[in-house]
Order: sequence, then structure tokens, then C-alpha cells
Amino acid sequence: MRKRSSEKKRHVVAWVNKAEWNQVLENLYSKDVSLQKFALQRISAWRGRFAHSSPVAVDCTADLVRCQVLDRSGQLSGDELVLLYGASLVRFVNLITERQQGKIARPLRRLAGNLNIPEWVVDLRHDFTHRKLPSLKWCRRGCKVVLEWLQQEYWSRQLGGGSDEGWESQSEEEEDPKRQEDELLARQKEMEAYKSARELLISYEREQFQTFDELHQVQENNLGQAPLADMSWLLGEIKQFSLDASDMLVDVLLEDGFLVPTVEQLETLGCNPSEKSDPTQPRIPQVFLHFWLPLFRALNSGFFIHLLLEKLFAELKLLKEEESSHRAFFLSAWTSELLLCNNNKFEYHFETKQQKKNRIKDRIFVNRIQLRWQQLLAACLDAPCISTPHLLQLILDDMEHPLPLETRQKLLQLCSIYTQAARGGGSASPEPKRQPIYTLEKLHEKQKQHLRHVATDRSESDHKAADDLAEKAKALRGSPWQVCTDKVQWKSFPLGKVPGQSDDPSCLMVENYSTMRVFDQPVDLESGGAQKVPGVSAPARTAEGFLWSQSDLHRLKSGLVLF
Amino acid sequence: MKVNKQAQVKGKSQKWKDVRSKRCRPSIKSSDLNSSPVMVRVVKEHQVSAKKKPSVKRLKNKAKTVSDHNKSKPSESGVRKTNPQTNGSSMFTLDEEVEDLQQLKEYSQIIHRNGLQTTGETWDVKFGRLEGEALHHCAQRDDRQNHAVLVMQQDQTLCFRGKCFLTCLYGRVEVMGFTIEEGQKSYPVYSPASHCPLTIRALETSHFHRNDRTEASQILQKYLPPASRKKLLKKIMLASSVILLEPMETPLTRFLSSFTHLSELFSPPANELMSAVLDTPLNGLGVIPLTSTVEGLKMSQSYRDALNTAVSACRGDMDGSAVILVCGIKNVGKSTFIRVLINTLLNHTSSVDYLEGDLGQTEFTPAGCLSMLTVREPLLGPPFTHQNTPEHMIYYGDVSCEADMDRYLESLKSLWRRRPKSRETPFIINTMGWVKGFGLQLLVDLIRVLPVSHVIQLSHGSTTQCPALTPEFLRTAHGCQTHPPAQTAMDECTESHGPPKTYSHLDVQAEFRGVARQGTAKYQRSNEQRELSLLAYLSQLQSPEPGLVRPLHSLTPYQVPHAAVALGVIHCEVVPSHMFYAVNASLVGLCCLTEKVTSKGGPVLLPQAPVCPCVGFGVLRGVDMARGLYFLLTPVHPSVLRKVNCLLLGAISLPSCIFTSQPDLEGETPYVTTDYSFDLTGAGKLRVFKGLARPSHAGTQ
Repeated sequence: MRKRSSEKKRHVVAWVNKAEWNQVLENLYSKDVSLQKFALQRISAWRGRFAHSSPVAVDCTADLVRCQVLDRSGQLSGDELVLLYGASLVRFVNLITERQQGKIARPLRRLAGNLNIPEWVVDLRHDFTHRKLPSLKWCRRGCKVVLEWLQQEYWSRQLGGGSDEGWESQSEEEEDPKRQEDELLARQKEMEAYKSARELLISYEREQFQTFDELHQVQENNLGQAPLADMSWLLGEIKQFSLDASDMLVDVLLEDGFLVPTVEQLETLGCNPSEKSDPTQPRIPQVFLHFWLPLFRALNSGFFIHLLLEKLFAELKLLKEEESSHRAFFLSAWTSELLLCNNNKFEYHFETKQQKKNRIKDRIFVNRIQLRWQQLLAACLDAPCISTPHLLQLILDDMEHPLPLETRQKLLQLCSIYTQAARGGGSASPEPKRQPIYTLEKLHEKQKQHLRHVATDRSESDHKAADDLAEKAKALRGSPWQVCTDKVQWKSFPLGKVPGQSDDPSCLMVENYSTMRVFDQPVDLESGGAQKVPGVSAPARTAEGFLWSQSDLHRLKSGLVLF
Repeated sequence: MKVNKQAQVKGKSQKWKDVRSKRCRPSIKSSDLNSSPVMVRVVKEHQVSAKKKPSVKRLKNKAKTVSDHNKSKPSESGVRKTNPQTNGSSMFTLDEEVEDLQQLKEYSQIIHRNGLQTTGETWDVKFGRLEGEALHHCAQRDDRQNHAVLVMQQDQTLCFRGKCFLTCLYGRVEVMGFTIEEGQKSYPVYSPASHCPLTIRALETSHFHRNDRTEASQILQKYLPPASRKKLLKKIMLASSVILLEPMETPLTRFLSSFTHLSELFSPPANELMSAVLDTPLNGLGVIPLTSTVEGLKMSQSYRDALNTAVSACRGDMDGSAVILVCGIKNVGKSTFIRVLINTLLNHTSSVDYLEGDLGQTEFTPAGCLSMLTVREPLLGPPFTHQNTPEHMIYYGDVSCEADMDRYLESLKSLWRRRPKSRETPFIINTMGWVKGFGLQLLVDLIRVLPVSHVIQLSHGSTTQCPALTPEFLRTAHGCQTHPPAQTAMDECTESHGPPKTYSHLDVQAEFRGVARQGTAKYQRSNEQRELSLLAYLSQLQSPEPGLVRPLHSLTPYQVPHAAVALGVIHCEVVPSHMFYAVNASLVGLCCLTEKVTSKGGPVLLPQAPVCPCVGFGVLRGVDMARGLYFLLTPVHPSVLRKVNCLLLGAISLPSCIFTSQPDLEGETPYVTTDYSFDLTGAGKLRVFKGLARPSHAGTQ
């Protein structure tokens, strides 16, 4: 469940380990030509692994070092060397600046300047492509400077620390000033919306407190009935606001001091803040519920309720660490109230009118709302806390298309185990304290059963696997292929590593080998068996009677040795 | 008519009675009505008005086709039942053949008619997508057995994301051109976010004469508890089809879902999230219906015409077997077209032969392979869901053929020579999306070298992506290896096949949204799809029994001595002494050389990779230097593996997730680092800018 966001992204590279990288780096920049050659050969193997995603800097370095090696070998003339250097330098300048290039071509000189590449290197490149070929001296000088640049900017800084971007990420677009402006504007708008949402809700609260005070003296029960004129205007405003920015409204509602009351607010309303109902089945104190009812009734829409529920769960998720807090209690209590309003039990069908009236009085909304249950379920499970089993139960009971019964039970059980265990000490209340023991025992029991189950399962599957391997071995008998029979725990050896292999980067070097020259083969697996014309050798069997096909000719040609 | 009038006359006091008589209505069976078409219409009208959906105009239409079918269908559906596994087979007698042809003609008529009426419209607009409320009414789920039954009216569609087993319990439905009928086996259908969503469409049913409700009720009995059965039965009408959807878990899906970045593969992509219908009875089974704002596969008129022409050609309008070459620029929908074509053909024949010529987007194998195989099962999903072992395969070793075009052509010719010659099955050839310059020349070569009977060329928009590859064009066009016949007689002689006299050229206009553009959403880029194909191939290493996914490195490998198999690199040059640095922990093609591999000591290395038959792929898990062994993981069957004597490395790399998600390891993982920084200049791969605008050409700046 924990996300290891701090962990850096893992990349696949062509070198086995850092030691191999270091070895290549050292050899590339050594004065010894044979070591340089060795590094070049290793890089060619890397290219084989990387296929088409070899790093540009590695390729460029290899090309330039190859020029140096050939230069030092003394086998090539100056003119030949200039051409070689030229190709490598042109490629370097163009490829290395490629990522700086936007949608519209920009001068190389500027791009190179951004990268601290000396201007004269770019001039040298232009000489190669557009003007008189530079002298060998300039070539050597350019090569040396560029190699130094690569060492400084790429090789010595690589594998030291890094960013999380992948090979494929290509989003290095230029910062767009217009977009920034837009962002700023949007943020400003957001701030304004936030402010007005707060103001609206605060005036609502003020209004409600006032009504409450007035009514408190006369009769207690009438709260939340027909709103006064001021109030109805205010509710209209809020409703209007919610049409534009329901997101913002919900956000503000869920801040402390609104749906989550402060201690003072509760006291003013005459609730005892410490006197909460059971956190496993949280309910909103009735007075406080009535305090907000007019607002909810004004905003009553499927969309709004769904949004509110989702936000409630999201907020609850953020409170994972302090789940016994006041805030968590109210968040889950509101969730539970909302869900309760939506449920549509059969019991209600037979109630008397008075009962119904009473029931409806406490409800945020009356008619059933179509909610997106799957999403709610996911959100609920995403925010585990002490009241989750209760909320989960409500959701599961209420879903339009209920999950299979067994799944529901399993989910509930899992959920209760998880939330109980997470609390560890069980510091909240004495009543559910007995339960953790119960569930933990149960958990142990389950675990034992499970282990036994797994054990039998595993031995069974092991048997099956062994049989499978034996069968494979039988099918391979008589060929050089075998099923590996070494007693090796393969799962502790990653791909590319075998038992007994050292970490030395030179361990895979091939010292003696044989080469074999083969030509293109006919596509025929069953030699003999499936051949339409038995006894005739492959090359003669071409489709429409010609003796030799193109490939046969090709084969003949490449097999010819003149003198 | 009488019944109807009476019902209208009835007063309010008789309301209750009326309802009851309505309930009893099914006792007037459509079978009783067979003789009098007027009555049929009455009942139909009644039912339709009860449902308040289709227009009267359509009704007339439908009634006509139904009566058409009344004559020919009964005997046919009887025949079908005897052979429930495949749609038709080569064993058809002549009579049935005729019947089938007739059916085919009807089919094309239907399509044609539809095309006339709805130029530019999709099927969905006309016939209604099953979405929202409708799904709640016509689908029922059995919680205990965990499956759902769905009633679909004729031409209704269900477009969805996800995966499931689809069985037709009653009537017939069509998916990607393939018709699934009552009595046939279950088919796995896959609609992942990587491709256009699948659409299930209910077809006209042929059992008009049957007693719909009682029969359907009997069928449903097996699948639904009484309460939900009752509800569904109400929805069953004359032309309804009933399908069963079951959740699907295979080694493939289990293996893919073990990688975190693929967890959303079978969910709708971001741009469809708003169109996903949640909380239907289907959602719990791994099927997420989409509203009609998402269009399924969109077939233009020319698309359907080409399909019809191809199908009727394969049905025997011509001598010998039809050889259909499909070409067009990339992302124009070649693969999808071919899938629909193959599926449609499989409605009439038991198998279709296929030659793969597209290295980048291979249909049945990992990328980089040219192959030939016989398709017997419909293709109800994207390539990675039907990885297959071809009869003949050559590992070209790269995703495009630019580097070595001769090798490409030689490989294809070599494959073609191995085709099963005696059969008269239709032959379909897929080609690359490279249609410019040398790519076009290669296409010209292929059309000349292979005895093509049809060239289906897909294009989009008004611009021409490449010249029409008509026989006239071929008369003067130059290929890479072939030349126009008149100019050099010598070249013709060296070719094993003379140019075919003529062929039909069919132009198809692709008109779907996003044509010619690569998908930008997750899983839609071509490299991601190649990765999926390769992972799907490697998923064959998982045991077929359900259970935990076993990561590759934990499996017991095969071993083979260095001296017994030759080792080669196809796509670049690697010095022999550093060879193992390239092949260790890489994907290798398992190939067979006719030459015996012998060693004078040490590993046997090939200086040049030959064109040779490939039987599959393996992961070279490790190299044991001390004992001189290669360790290899491969799903290739041991009886085939024993013949393998050559391992070829190509430019097809293992997906990086194979390396990065190796659980239970201590210490360093080879080839994996967290310290490589992509921020540094030159740290990324070569990026090719296509169409970099020059400052002078840019209008905006």
C-alpha cells in the first residue's frame, strides 16, 4: 500500500553495473590506444543491446575516439582522416543540440552557446558542410575539445545522481510565456472563487446562528424549517455559485469551521463536543445536522452529492495518520448521513405517515440519487479508517448492482481486519477494544489455515512443475539441449546473472571462439519429412521450375572464390 | 388487426384485465403466425410500440428482410448446428455452398442498403448503442455464477472496454466481422485501451419460425436465477439475440497485470472516461460499456465494398485461391482491416493463410519477424491477444526494413515458397506502412513477385500518400529488385515468378477519427504495442493453471553448451570477444541452420547472420563461462527446441519492465540503475525530428 515515491526510477541500461561503466569511461579517455579500442568494442556491444536507443553522447564519444584511434595508428593519410573527423564532428554538433531544437529550426550557434560548446566548434562544423575542408590540425583540436566537453558534461556527471525522466520522455518543450500567463489568470480566478465561497458560507453560518439564537428561546424544534427571507436570498446565491464552481464550494465546505465544526461552534449550538457517538458508526449530532440542512436542501442534486461524497472520502484519506481526530469523525459522519439518505429499504414501505415525516425531517435529501457506486466504493476503500466498515456496509447495501454476496462479505471482513489492525493500540474507545483481539485471533487462525493451504498448494504445484520439467527433459533427450538440473534457487538470480558469476566487468569476455560462415537458409523445418519432393536437395526446389532463385544465385555468388 | 382494435375499445374499468391479457400475449406464438404476414406485423408493431424505439420506417424494412430469409434460412441453420465449432467448413456440399453464397449476397445487400441510407453515418447512430438505462433493463447478472446475460435487439450494439468470454446463447451477433451463433463455443474478446474499442452487434436472426420465449427461457434457465430470468424474458422479441458474458483470466492477462504500468490496460483510456458507463451489470465482469459518444470501428463505404469484393472473390468467383495484398501508409488501419477481413472470411471458410510483411506491427508474433501461418480462429482483439506460432517464420531482427531491403525481400520470397500449395484457401498479405521512396519500390517488388490477385490500398483524406498501385502503374514502375518487364527481359528471367497478368486494385478510404496519427494515449504508441506483443509472447512461459505470476528469472531455464549452438547478431557489428556483453539477458531468436554446428573450442560465432528459419524466441537468461553453457528461457516446445542450433540477436529488446520488476532480489540487479540522469545533454536516445520548420517557412514567428 505504501508508495515509495522517494525511490528513484529504475532504468534499464546496457552496462551490467557501475564497474563496467567506469571501466569503459576510463579506457575511452586513456592514452593507450589498445585500451581505447577495447572501450570502443564494448560500446559496439552496448549498441547491440540498446538497439535504437543508445545515448547520443555515448555514440558521439565513440565516433570521435574512433577517429583518434585511427589517427594514432598512423595507417591513414591526412585527407582520409579529415573526412573521418569531419563526419564525427558534424554529427556531434547536430545530434547534441537536437534536443534543444524546438518546432522551428534555430541557429546551431545559439543552441551550442546554451550548452557551453565553444563557438569555433560550430564554425568548424559549418566549414565541413559548406566551405573548404579544415586542416587536420583543426580537426584534431576540435576533436580534443569536444571529447573534453563530453567528459565534463556527460561522462563524469552521469551515474552520480539524476532525474526521473525516462528514455521516452520527450516533453522538454520550451516554457511558454502565454501559458504561464494563462496559469496566473486561472489561479487568480480560483482565489476569487475561493474567497466568495468562504464569504457566502460564513454569512450562511452567521444567519443560521442568528436564527438559532432567536428560535432557541421560543421553541427548539423548528430549526431548519422554512427559511427566512434573507436566508432564501443567501441560499439562492449559494446555489448560483455552486452551478459555476461546485468544486470550490465543496472544498470550502470541508474546511474546518464549516461541515467540520470548531469546538466553539458546537458549544454555541449546545452540543457537547466530547460527547460523540461511536466512531465505528458515526452520526452527526442532530442540532448540527439541522444547522446545515437548509443549505443541502438548496443544493440537492445528484451531481453535487456525488461530488461531496468523493471529496469527503478524499479528505478522509488525507487523515490516515490521525484517524481518531475530531475532523475524521465529522467527515465520516457526514459521509454516513449522506449514504443513509440514499438508501431505500423495504422497511420504509410500511411506515405510517407520521413516521415518514419524522424520518424525512432529518434527511438531507429524500429521493434516491443515482450515484456512481463503483467509484464511491473505490474511494471508500482508498480511505481506510475506523468507520470504514460501517461506510462500506452502507455502500455495499445500497449499490445499484450489488457485488456477489461472497465478495461483499469478504470485502467487509478484510476491511474490518485492516482497519482494526491499523489502529494497533486501540486507543479510541473501550468498546471496540475487544474486537481487535477477536479479529487478530481470527487473523492468526486464518493465517495458519492459509499457510497450510498454501503449503499443500505449493507442494502440489511443485509436483506439477517437476513433472512438467521431467517431460521436457524427456523430449530433449538426444539433443544438446537440456533442462537445467542444477540445484539452484533461480529466483535469487536476476536475469543476466548465473550462480558463481563475479561482479568483475571482464567476466564475460570470450577468449577463444570459432567462427562459422553460413548462407541464407531455405525455410524448411522438417528437413526430409515435409518436403514435397523427397530426395532433391533444397536449392533445386524453387517454385515455378527455374533452377536457381535469386537467393540461390546470391548464395552461389557469395560462395565463389576467385583465384 | 382484430385483437388490436378490441384492445383499444376497452374502457378504463377493464384496465386490469387488459394488463393481464397483455401478459398472456406471448401465448400467441410467432410460429402460429407464420402463415399470415399481416398478423406478424400486428404482433411486431405491438412489441415495437411497447418498446417505443425503432421508427416505423425501419420496421418496414426489417419485416421485408425477415420474410426474405424465411425461405432460405431454416435448412441452413440446421446445417450450421451440425458443425458448431467453425463457421462453415470446407466440407460443405454444393447445395449449401449455393445457400451460403446466397446468404453472402444478402449480406452484401444489407451492407449496401445500409450504405445507401446512411452515407457517412455509423451503424450506431442508426440502430442504437446499448448504453445507460437500457443496459440496466436488458442485462442481468448472476452473482453466484458470476456471469451476465444480455439481450440485444437486432442491430443494437454494445461497444466496450475490457475483456471477457462471449457466448451466443440465442440468435447471432457479430464482432469485428465475425459472426457468432447460437451453439458455437465461447470466444475470448479483448478490448484494451491500446486499440479502437470492440463492438458487439446483434444480427438478424434466422429463427423467425421459432417459439422465441419458451426456447429462450429454456436456455436462460441454465444461466440465471428465476427472478432475473423473468425480467429478461420480457425483453426477448422476435429478432433478439442473447449473449452470455463471463469474466476472463488467462496466463496472458495475469502476466500483463503483474506489471504496474499495465494495470490500466483493459480500462478506458483518459479520453473515453467520460463516456464509460459505470454500474451496469456488466462492469463487475471486466466489461465497461461505452456510450455512443465513442464510436467503435468506423467503416466507410469503400471499406465495406472492398470487404465484400474480397469475400466474394474468396468464395470462388475466380480460379485458384485469392491472394490479397493489403497496403497503405502507417496508422491508416491496415491491421484492423485485415483482422476484419480474416474474420469475415472465417464466416465462410475454415481457415485463411496469412503472410506477415509488416515488421513493426506484426499480427501474430513479436515484432521484427516475417512469418506465414494459417489462421483458424477469429481475431477478436489486438495482436498481443493472439500471439501464435507460425508454421514458417524468419527473424529479420528489426522493426523496419530500411537497413537491409534485400534481406527483407529474400525472406518474404523464401517464406512464400513454403506456402501450402495444394490448398485453395484465401491468402492475405500484410505489408509495411512505408510507402514512400524505397518503401514503394519494395511494394512494387512484392506485387510483381507474388501472384497477387487483389491489391487493397488504404488511404485517407484527399491527399495522395502514394501512387495507386494499379496494374497500369506496375507496368512502368521500378522496384528494388524487379523492373518493368518490357525494358529488361533478363531480369524477368531471373525472377522465379513472372509478373502476374493482372489483378484487381481496390481503393479504400479510411475515415475514422485520428486516421494517420499514432495514438497519443497510454498504450497506443507503436513501441508500447510492440512491448505488449513481446510480453504476451513471454506470458506463454506462465503455467496455464491459475495462480501467482512467476517472474521470468525464477523459472528453471534450459541449458545448452556454447559449442552446440551458433551465435549471431543481425542488426549491428559486435566484436567476437565482446559478444556475450551484447547477448547476455537479451531476447534471441531461436533458429535452425541446416549446417551442423561444430566448434574448434569455445562458442561458435556467426560473422554474418543468415536468413534462416526461426521457431520462436527465448531470453538468454545467463551465460555460464566456467562450464561453457547458455541458460535460456523459452516457451518453444522441447520437441522443436531440440532442433535449434542458432541464436540470433536483433534490435528487438526485452521490455524494460522485465528487468525493473524482478522481485525478491538482493543486491544489485544487472542492467538496471537508478542513477542514470536523463537531464544531462546527450543522455537520451537519438531523436529524429520530422518536418522541422525553417524560420523562413514559419508563418507565426
